[in-house]
Amino acid sequence: MNSLSALPSGGLFPAIWKLIRLRLLLNWNAFKHAKTGRKIGTIVLVILALAFTGFIFFLSWLLLGFLRSSKLTQYVGFDVGPFLQTVPVLVCALLFVGILFSSFGVLLQALYLSGDMDFLLSSPVPIRAVFITKLLQAVLPAFGLAALFGLPLLYGLGITGHYSLFYYPVVLLIMIALTLAAAGLSALLVMLVARLFPPRRVAEVLGFLTATLSILCSQSGNLFNSLGHNVTISGSQVNGAFALLMRFNTPWNPLNWAGRGLVDLGEGHWLAGLGLLALTLGLAALAFSFALATAERWYYSGWAGMQVVAYRKKPNRTAHARAATTPSMPLQSDLAAAQKRQVLPAPVRAILQKDFLLLRRDMRNLSQLVTPLIFGVFYTFIFLRPGSSIVPDSPDTPAIFSSIARFISSYGNIGMSLFVGWMLLSRLAGMAFSSEGKNYWMLKASPVRAAHLLTAKFLMAYLPTLALGALFMLAVSILQKASLAIFLYGLLATAMCLAGMSGILLAFGVAGANFTWTDPRRMNAGVTGCLGQALAALFLPVAFGFFIVPLLLVTVLNWPQVYGSLAGAAAGIAICAIAALLPPWLVRNRVEMLNEN
Amino acid sequence: MANSVTLIQTQALSKRYGDKLAVNNVSLEVQAGEVFGFLGPNGAGKTTTIKMIVGLLQPTSGTIRVTGYDVQTQPLLAKASSGYVPDTPNLYGKLTGRELLRFVGDLYSLDRQRLAQRSEELLRVLDLTEAADQTIDSYSHGMQQKASLAAALMHDPKVLVLDEPTVGLDPKSARLIKDILRQMADRGTAVFLSTHILEIAERMCDRIGIIDKGALVAVGTMTELRALGKAGETSLEDIFLGLTGGAEAAEISEILK
Repeated sequence: MNSLSALPSGGLFPAIWKLIRLRLLLNWNAFKHAKTGRKIGTIVLVILALAFTGFIFFLSWLLLGFLRSSKLTQYVGFDVGPFLQTVPVLVCALLFVGILFSSFGVLLQALYLSGDMDFLLSSPVPIRAVFITKLLQAVLPAFGLAALFGLPLLYGLGITGHYSLFYYPVVLLIMIALTLAAAGLSALLVMLVARLFPPRRVAEVLGFLTATLSILCSQSGNLFNSLGHNVTISGSQVNGAFALLMRFNTPWNPLNWAGRGLVDLGEGHWLAGLGLLALTLGLAALAFSFALATAERWYYSGWAGMQVVAYRKKPNRTAHARAATTPSMPLQSDLAAAQKRQVLPAPVRAILQKDFLLLRRDMRNLSQLVTPLIFGVFYTFIFLRPGSSIVPDSPDTPAIFSSIARFISSYGNIGMSLFVGWMLLSRLAGMAFSSEGKNYWMLKASPVRAAHLLTAKFLMAYLPTLALGALFMLAVSILQKASLAIFLYGLLATAMCLAGMSGILLAFGVAGANFTWTDPRRMNAGVTGCLGQALAALFLPVAFGFFIVPLLLVTVLNWPQVYGSLAGAAAGIAICAIAALLPPWLVRNRVEMLNEN
Repeated sequence: MANSVTLIQTQALSKRYGDKLAVNNVSLEVQAGEVFGFLGPNGAGKTTTIKMIVGLLQPTSGTIRVTGYDVQTQPLLAKASSGYVPDTPNLYGKLTGRELLRFVGDLYSLDRQRLAQRSEELLRVLDLTEAADQTIDSYSHGMQQKASLAAALMHDPKVLVLDEPTVGLDPKSARLIKDILRQMADRGTAVFLSTHILEIAERMCDRIGIIDKGALVAVGTMTELRALGKAGETSLEDIFLGLTGGAEAAEISEILK
């Protein structure tokens, strides 16, 4: 037999280059075959990133120039120079720690959950080359982000401090070395975790924690801003902050050697600078080599563990269930009778049960659902915190303004419940059909009516949102000491407005259903889904207005509240019922045509 | 064959995707108790035809009747009497095997007691009992394929449509599935299966249809197909290659020399 293949050269760097070239080719092909709009968007994004780098560089230059000014020294009462020497130390340490943790999720995906590892490991390519390429691929975005902010800062520091020319290329070299060392250690951490837990589960938990933490962090910022709007920072506080940061710059911490070495090199202390930088590079190379060698050994056991499925011993089933041995024929004879006994038809119940199970079991879904809860809790706190009352205390305020303010304060809780509900519904109703993904064939091939499917998906979105909205209303009403009448009216308004929104979002979700996703966080229904969200956001104040404006009118006109309540309820229920029923009815025929292509 | 009631009937079935005619004027019939093999090269239109039969795709023209019901005008009745096993077992990964069968049973409105009985039977027969309480995303490909078959059999369909049912299965599982299909046919079910494994088609199928470039080029029993082929073409492989263009095979062997 003839063989066309030459023996693999075994060279590490040619193999790495081959794999990098493959990645570049894939990216280039993705760009080349993308739609024109996406191509233009990518080009604009690159130009914006470059402009942003320039802007950061300019800003750093100005800021660092200001920090070195004598006026600032007079104001804060001490020399800022030593603090500026701490900046490279902080940047390098943050880069290392940031890459170590931020690479974890990406490496987990790249090493255990991507589909190309089988192909790469079975090819005549050194496994070390595969790892290095995967590491580079994983850390490149994080390194790019770090370089976007870190490089202009460090170069700005060099220019304002008149550092030597050697400083500039070494900054880049040190950043690359620290990134590779951190990525190597992160890969080790990934493999250690993959030996203990299923990688897919780890990825789900990680996604949930990351989403929750990022929302908590962003909202903590908002909360802090709302609470601390009158906080002023004194010179002594600035002084204290600088001192605290400078305390980090200790010589015995290996994380600081890179930054200290850079400063020494820039300021012309050659011996100390080169010594510390050589030490840093040596340690980084050692960490990277150790990580690579260990990872090669650990990877196979982790990978092998992924392929093994251990089953628990089956629990004993009921005797009658096991006893049957002969297949039982016509099973549809008693269907009609069975259906009549239930409030909801069996297929509707089945889809509801299935969706609740899937929602609960997939942590990636939960990470999306936790967002409205966090938003709700934070904004309620802001809304109800002491001193946030909008009811004027002054006796000079006209009575009409006082009563309007009191009215808004009393019914604000409904607005909060609806806001939380809107966020939850955007996910549950807007993506009710898309969430089926590649499994949609099971529903489509089954004898399920479009009306039943729509009903199940509507209830799946509406019921949890209603429960959350009602609980939210109850909690806020108790905190506000609202009257029972206000609570019940608010509950009715919330229930109806949420039903209307569910109908709108569900219908748009059908129109823009996307069944091709592989990650639930990317199942959004595109432009149509966004349109649905915008329309639901418009519907919300209108429907709420139908409930509330008659009440406001009777309050202003000093008429009995019961007239306002009756008129508001009638108008609100009517508009919400139309929104809940009409859009799904309009798309019922489309449901039967879903996933045709 | 149990009797000669036609359970699957397609008439002048066509499906067009833009300019491409994926299925072109396909007319065929499958009787009760018959195992019908559907063969064709890659991209010939097998999966598209199957998807139209089970109601996943709307035909551009033509009609399909399953157990006498028009799939387009009476889709619920047609779907209620058919079961489908796709080529790729995309199942709800976060459901357990037992939960999946219960879900499918509820979709077909099965009585609770019968549903429980039937799902236990199928789990046992398909050797999935031990894994029944594990989520499907932990199953191997073969187990997912068997879970998919169990789901299709839950309501004891009169028509069973399978797209490449033995791909990726070990010999034991493949044999098990073949035995089940044969038994189903012996009890009067019409089994319609597509396969690339000609040995399976030759041994299992009562009749075979060969599709090429969207058009049905031959239908019949092995004896009838042999009569269609050239002299000396006695195996299904020879007949298949003769009908769908096997000239490339010689060139391939030339390259591999």
